Amino acid sequence: MTSERRFALALVAPALAAILLVAVFPLGWTVWESLHRHDLRMPWLGRPFVGLGNYAEILRDGRFRGAMAHTATFTAVTVALELLLGLFLALAMNRAFRGRALVRAAVLVPWAIPTVVAALLWRFLFDSQAGVVNAALTGLGATAEAPVWFVDGTLAWVPLVLADVWKTTPFVALLLLAGLQNIPGELYEAAAVDGAGRWGRLRHVTLPLLRPAILVALVFRTMDAFRVFDLVYVLTGGGPGTATETIALYTFNTLFQNLRFGYGSALSVTVFAVTFALAMIYVRALGTGPAGEGR
Amino acid sequence: MLPPTAVLRRPARAARVLATALLALLAACGGDAGGDGVRLTVSGSALGKEGEVLRRQMARFEAANPGVRVEVQQTPDDATQRHQLYVQWLNARVGRPDVLQLDVVWTPEFAAAGWILPLDRYGPPRADLFPASLEANTWRDTLYALPWFMDVGMLYWRTDLVPTAPRTLDELEAQARRARPGTAPPRRGIVWQGARYEGLVTVFLEYLGGFGGAILTPDARVAVGSPEAVRALRFMRAQVARGGIAPREVLTWHEEEARFAFQNGTAVFMRNWPYAAALLGDTAESRVAGRFAVAPMPAAPGGRPTAALGGAQLAVNAHSRHPDEAYRLIAFLTAPEQMLERAAVVGQYPARRSVYADPRLEAALGLPVAGVLDVVEAATPRPVTPIYTQLSGILQVHLHRALVGETTPEAALAAAAREMERVVERTGIRRVQR
Amino acid sequence: MRGRGAGPLATAALALLVAFAAFPFAWALLASVTPEAELFRGGGVLPERWVADHYRALFATRDFWVPIRNSLVVAGTTTAFCVTVGGLAAYALARLDFPGKAPVLGLVLAVTMFPQISIVSPLFLLLRGLRLIDTYPGLVLPYLTFAMPLTVWLLVGYFRQIPPDLEEAARIDGATRWQALTRVVLPLAVPGLATTAILTFIYCWNEFLFALSFTLGPDRRTVPVAIALFRGQYQVPWGEVLAASVVATAPVAALVLAFQRRIVQGLTSGAVKG
Repeated sequence: MTSERRFALALVAPALAAILLVAVFPLGWTVWESLHRHDLRMPWLGRPFVGLGNYAEILRDGRFRGAMAHTATFTAVTVALELLLGLFLALAMNRAFRGRALVRAAVLVPWAIPTVVAALLWRFLFDSQAGVVNAALTGLGATAEAPVWFVDGTLAWVPLVLADVWKTTPFVALLLLAGLQNIPGELYEAAAVDGAGRWGRLRHVTLPLLRPAILVALVFRTMDAFRVFDLVYVLTGGGPGTATETIALYTFNTLFQNLRFGYGSALSVTVFAVTFALAMIYVRALGTGPAGEGR
Repeated sequence: MLPPTAVLRRPARAARVLATALLALLAACGGDAGGDGVRLTVSGSALGKEGEVLRRQMARFEAANPGVRVEVQQTPDDATQRHQLYVQWLNARVGRPDVLQLDVVWTPEFAAAGWILPLDRYGPPRADLFPASLEANTWRDTLYALPWFMDVGMLYWRTDLVPTAPRTLDELEAQARRARPGTAPPRRGIVWQGARYEGLVTVFLEYLGGFGGAILTPDARVAVGSPEAVRALRFMRAQVARGGIAPREVLTWHEEEARFAFQNGTAVFMRNWPYAAALLGDTAESRVAGRFAVAPMPAAPGGRPTAALGGAQLAVNAHSRHPDEAYRLIAFLTAPEQMLERAAVVGQYPARRSVYADPRLEAALGLPVAGVLDVVEAATPRPVTPIYTQLSGILQVHLHRALVGETTPEAALAAAAREMERVVERTGIRRVQR
Repeated sequence: MRGRGAGPLATAALALLVAFAAFPFAWALLASVTPEAELFRGGGVLPERWVADHYRALFATRDFWVPIRNSLVVAGTTTAFCVTVGGLAAYALARLDFPGKAPVLGLVLAVTMFPQISIVSPLFLLLRGLRLIDTYPGLVLPYLTFAMPLTVWLLVGYFRQIPPDLEEAARIDGATRWQALTRVVLPLAVPGLATTAILTFIYCWNEFLFALSFTLGPDRRTVPVAIALFRGQYQVPWGEVLAASVVATAPVAALVLAFQRRIVQGLTSGAVKG
């Protein structure tokens, strides 16, 4: 083994050890559970091994399909919005202007508020009687009658998406800002000399060099959006009906309300598989996985 | 090969330092402090006045039982969060808390899972308990928990707007329409909890009983698709539809939103739990202090006034190391004297019949005892089965869909009945339940 | 783009976004000094009377310092651990050649892909076996499941963007790999490290489910859990909850203000040529 390899492995070992310590048992346990029929409420049924039986049930489960559809839509919309807004904010914060520090801090505040509190805040804001949103809408004459947001299957998504975008755009913005910092100024000047306008610089200099940062932002935001729980639980509880039920909420119900640990574990493994597939797609599409080379 | 090992030394040292630090932290924490005497842990509502009265009673228990120390382990009062913690702990066979505060619908679930102890061998005061409590806390003919206090859904009505409490559902409707708050903002006839959560099922249970229906028959057959149930749901739907006596907002409301609406004087009737009475009587904050009273929810012909049973139960952790002392604590906390004290301080309705014969109760509650007893005796438990939470989840979804207008009441209840029947079949619960 | 004047449209959009970001918090601030009954009355935004009761209750009756301390310790320890340990791994992944890079990255990321709720139960069993329930390490360890992947992936990106010329130059001058790493690369990576630290810290600060599940008593509870315990069965003491959130956001905002200059150092501070 070359000295480089030894050095590398020594550097990687602690992180790997820490991860393995915390991760191997829970992940293995979940996968193992998913292969059994295990209902805590009825211990007399035992814990029989059913192989892929739970997964077959998932395929037949209409509520699962609904939850997946909701989650996928939520993920797509919020990640797209957060990326766009985050990019805009990052570009704006990259400039030198007075009060920049304060703007940065102000922009980061939403993310610093505990999720449960943020959800409560937004529920308040969209309350049909006491909420500011409806007061503004009726005050400005935009609608005659104040809508009851959480009672309509489509409208209920608005506060959800807004709350999530509000809360996590700062994360994306900060990520992209740090990425922007790494782009040498000379490249912009060279592009300007070549006659590129603002859009041209954005397209040909900024975005390509931001690709690694965008990739990380995409991967992590997608994973988080896919697993969103606290926000939905507090804001809508999955309602009206199951219109806003996400897959994490459904899994939580299955595990801790219905105590069906086998089936709930199978749901978790399915979420994992989907998220993993998405991550792989991102890495392929954006080309520059951190382990690979080539820009 | 000196150079590579020299290189390795520095990062390896760093790693070693980190590892030692971690181990030191590990050693410093954890570990049981052994002590003499018995230490009992109670998990229960310990906020505000409830916390005060609980601590006072625990101190009296400690004085009367030397060698036993009691402490409170705070768990979230949010039912879902507390339930999740209990499931986690009990599934991991953790022995503490020794005494668990259970929501009334959890007893059969925990009993079936083997997580709480049967209490019959301690000779609990069965004769003094209300039939509804006995039913809710019995699984396979054994008593598994004692009721700490009775929560019952009931009708709050404005004494200044309505002459008497309505005796039938039609009378309720008529009175709500006739008497609207004159000067207040949005006029509402009745407010209740209609968001998609367990509270909705309790509201539905009351209308259902009022029309003579039930969710599950005693032999665990799903009865939610019956004509009585459809009538009940139609009645509720009419209330929130255009021109109905309830505002559409109730479909997003939990207990507090309804309470505030009534407290601010904008509703003639409210369906809520007993906790609201004390807050409504607060002359500083409430606009209806002294101008309301309580009554059982009325019924239609063919039904009977029904009050959904809620409240907390106390049970012994099956893995507790001191089950006998734990039961002694439960017996103490549910003794008549302690229940009377809770009534006085927190306004919770006692769960033992003998307390209602006590002349001090009226002063303690600040309400006429006869009226309270009426409601308590109308208490009806939700289906007593380990799979209740799952059934309720299904029912909530379909009820809410019908109320929101996505489907008709018939279709919603038929779908709910089918799904619930499927769950009952698949879990084979019918064979196990008595 | 840098340093040039912004169009009025861009400035307006920025102002709108900042307002969007700040408004709910400002509203929470106002609500936290409003008496409770007024909150639900649906009146105007400004309260009729201002009260400091909620803040007083926070510290007098609820001892809110303790959860803040706990959150700081847990978030701080996790961040420090992840940035150092994860940073080392990230450097290796970014710069060095060794077999199994992609699997390592994949494994590190895979941990985060399971919904938290599914690993709560087995994690509880694991921590209980290690006797770490209701301790600081008992929270730091589970937090690694999301903090470590984030740190590693972020830092890999930042390390890769530092040109290798400097390290090569240093090694030619006789430095060991370790010295090249610590003396040349790390100073340049400070903006990336600072950003990663802030992101990780806030991530941990916000975390609720693990903190709820793995702590038992008031001595180790973190801020989100403490806030969740404010509420009774039906009632949410809004004033106190909002006051607690305002108070809880302050250390984080301070941290960000302190760190944000570090983020901006950037490569153009003169170190790199060509």
